[in-house]
Amino acid sequence: MEVSASTPRWGLLQKLAAAYGKMMLNPTYRVLVLLLGAPVHIFVYLYYWRERKNDPYALALDQTKQALLASGYYDRLIEDIRDQQIRKHRFFQEQMEPQVLERQVAAIAAAQLQAEAHEQTMTQLRQRSQQRLTYGAAFQHLLESPLFVAISFVPGAFMYALILIFSSPYLKYIVERLLMSVFVIFGVAFLVFSILYISPMNPAANILGETATTEQIESFNRLYGLDQPYLVQLGNTLKGIATFDLGKSFAGNEEVTTAIAGKFPVTLTLTLISLLMAIIIALPIGIISAVKPNSIYDYTFMFIALLGLSIPSFWQGLVFILNFSIKLHWLPATYNPQNWLSMIMPTIVLGTGLTAAVARMTRSSTLEVINEDYIITAKAKGLSKRQILRKHAVGNALIPIITVIGLQFGGMLGGSAVTEKVFNISGIGSYIVDKQFIPDIPSIMGGVIYTAITISLINVVIDILYAFFDPRIRSKMKQY
Amino acid sequence: MTKKQIHTQELSYRLKTSPEYSQANLAWIVSLVLSILLLLNSYSLTEQISKPYVFIGFVVYALFTVIQFMVVLLIRRDLIRFGHIRGKTRALGYIQLFSIATGNVFIATAAFGLIKRHKSAEYTLAVYMLLTQLFIIAASGLNLFKPYVTDTFLPAMFVLVILAVFYLITLMIVAKYVSSERAHPRMRVIAYILILTSITGNLFALLLALTLLAKLRKANYLSTSKWETVLERLTRSTTSMIGLFFIVFLFSISICSYLTFDYALAIDNNYGAILQQPSLAYPFGTDNFGRCLFSRIIFGARISLVVGLLSTAIPVVIGGVLGALAGYYGRRTDNIIMRLLDILYAIPGILLAIAIIAAFGANTVNLILALSIGAIPSYARTMRANVMLVSTYEFVEAARAFGSSNWSIIFKHIVPNSLAPMIVKSTLTIGAAVISTSSLSFLGLGVEPQIPEWGNILKIGSAYLESHSYLAIYPGLAIIMLVLSFNFLGDGLRDALDPKLD
Repeated sequence: MEVSASTPRWGLLQKLAAAYGKMMLNPTYRVLVLLLGAPVHIFVYLYYWRERKNDPYALALDQTKQALLASGYYDRLIEDIRDQQIRKHRFFQEQMEPQVLERQVAAIAAAQLQAEAHEQTMTQLRQRSQQRLTYGAAFQHLLESPLFVAISFVPGAFMYALILIFSSPYLKYIVERLLMSVFVIFGVAFLVFSILYISPMNPAANILGETATTEQIESFNRLYGLDQPYLVQLGNTLKGIATFDLGKSFAGNEEVTTAIAGKFPVTLTLTLISLLMAIIIALPIGIISAVKPNSIYDYTFMFIALLGLSIPSFWQGLVFILNFSIKLHWLPATYNPQNWLSMIMPTIVLGTGLTAAVARMTRSSTLEVINEDYIITAKAKGLSKRQILRKHAVGNALIPIITVIGLQFGGMLGGSAVTEKVFNISGIGSYIVDKQFIPDIPSIMGGVIYTAITISLINVVIDILYAFFDPRIRSKMKQY
Repeated sequence: MTKKQIHTQELSYRLKTSPEYSQANLAWIVSLVLSILLLLNSYSLTEQISKPYVFIGFVVYALFTVIQFMVVLLIRRDLIRFGHIRGKTRALGYIQLFSIATGNVFIATAAFGLIKRHKSAEYTLAVYMLLTQLFIIAASGLNLFKPYVTDTFLPAMFVLVILAVFYLITLMIVAKYVSSERAHPRMRVIAYILILTSITGNLFALLLALTLLAKLRKANYLSTSKWETVLERLTRSTTSMIGLFFIVFLFSISICSYLTFDYALAIDNNYGAILQQPSLAYPFGTDNFGRCLFSRIIFGARISLVVGLLSTAIPVVIGGVLGALAGYYGRRTDNIIMRLLDILYAIPGILLAIAIIAAFGANTVNLILALSIGAIPSYARTMRANVMLVSTYEFVEAARAFGSSNWSIIFKHIVPNSLAPMIVKSTLTIGAAVISTSSLSFLGLGVEPQIPEWGNILKIGSAYLESHSYLAIYPGLAIIMLVLSFNFLGDGLRDALDPKLD
């Protein structure tokens, strides 16, 4: 501790060495470190090769073995084992050739001798506070010398970056989580592409019509690359997704990504407003219900919440239009970005399910929290009900709710297709639905994949925020 | 001061623990809401027409609501004064039984609950069994007002009425000879007949028969199995029983409608009766092709139930097995399975379904598959968490010590003990599956348009929203009631399976 305080540089190197030691325990990281720092490792291996000759372990092991042999330990061992083996065979009534028996005995005895020698050597080393020289230990030893690090910094930059990331639990968590979502995003792209690839539909015939000749269909397929093998198409798609260039859509001759970029903000605005509305309404309702369980408020609110979960959004939309637009003429029936009044009905319809889910979750999670011991402690301290609720209960109850919101938000983005169709909103959902009748493969793929990517990214952000806000996760992370 | 406080606490405890009181309370509140809805609908503001039939309905409902409210007050007074409900008050339940004729399940069940002092689970099941049968007869009987009925209508109705009489007798026998502890040995015969009658789809009959048989089998020793306690708790929750009632009613009428309803009325065009307002012949009116909306909704129930159940059962099995393997083997198996499922989890269910349907075309089989695949990961996660918990228990260790194989440990010991959350989750998500089915059909991506599925019916109705809004409202109400029923049942099951949650 003192050393690291006076010379912080030295402390950093020590940290590096310690992190390296931990990484060697994990097979994936071991391979990664070896691969990323290959040039450095060649040098380290030479060093290790040279040092191995005066490895205290090898020397001590030899001595111990000699001592054990000299003390007659090995002969006694052979006697014992032979005796045991003979008894064992007699018990199982097996006949053994004497040579086979001797071979067995020798093998067992050799293994036991080796184990015993190892055990004794390690005890000796520990007594003399020496270390066995392994490859990892050699590297760790080298890492502690600033000169080595300075020289090897350029060839091993990637490896050092990896070790540095690993040495901080937060960074490690964030990077692992991000890598995970990159994997998921590529998995989603692969999955959606494969589903649409094995489709028995023939878009060319659908778009060109019944009268299309074979040549026309072939030239259509060539134009959109549909005649190429699976892997080439998959590669192109993955590249297209990463570079935001999915080519032209089959029908309408528009750039897919441009079209999606135009539609996506509409849906996102709508869902964000709904989300905000859901949170503002659902949290107080859930908390009130939990504070007064089995009261008339509780029953009424929870019944309304259950009703909210059970209403199909398209029906709710239709009933809203019927009552507020057709009968009462209060609100416009179709969506128009310039008129904020037209936003009211779609956001309520879209947010109903989420509001209901969050209210129910808030109730159960608050109920769970207010029966915890620390709430009783707070009560015993003489805090008022309001203070207990605000300072101790709500914060802790919120943790699972945020996860639910993150997951439900994804469902809302996906489910917006129905609401968008009812209110005639030109968002991403109605875009996908319109395109699927053709089926316009690049457009569907782009729409679905970019939506999934957005959801994954939102969930990553929520997960990372958690890591900073939830003390339980924080302490768990440090124990890695 | 303190004495009085104890007194009020004691009183509120008495009121809270009385099942009759809470049931009667719920009944009058719901009945009041229904009466108000009827009153509001008896006069149409925009068209300036009053509807006398709806108004009569309102008067009848209001009458029963008022009586029910008085019953509630009487129960309350009895509980406060005597600590129990007096026989006179219980006798009022017989008056309220007449509400069956108006179709008010809430008051009817409250009345049945009031009449009997010591209610066994069997009594409650028998009551709901009878109610279901009566409702099926009433719904099928509406066909009498139609211009014609199917050839099988009269014999089928005859059988249904006989069954209803049999159920009534069973109810009386159960009320007299079956207590919470024991049942009369002769009940075995009745139980077998009940099982036979459950081919009409009346699952309450099946449940009743099974509980009776279970009770008879263990007549000699005292023990209650876990499922009996669960059933006991479930029958005590009014909301979940009403939910189950509606599900069983729809299930049963889906089966009975093969004989009592004419499919032609639901799918064949009848240009003589286009867009008619609701009447006795066409209880929910007719659509733009003159098809009877009521018959269409009844036939739609079949599809909604089948799609909802199948698209829940498939992912429960696949996700359950994957989750069990991941949770039991842990490490690499767990990592591979769960990471692959994470990919599936990242795509919202509806979008995945749209993509699959875009690829393979819109029909019922593809719809079921599309909805199933999207639901696999969440079931796998639930199952995995449970299996991880259960596999640390000692009976698993014991099974391993006996030399059971991994396979038999997982599927004989661990999985049966980690099913409870899966059951709750699947009940709650059947409702979501029903909504997804109708939503996709509404978008034109689900069931084939010529099949009378609720989403398809609504799609037609949405075109006539302005002039004939009932075409869109009734199928929507059917969806809501079915989904709400599944949600009520799911909530009830959760409380029954894990009482510490509430």
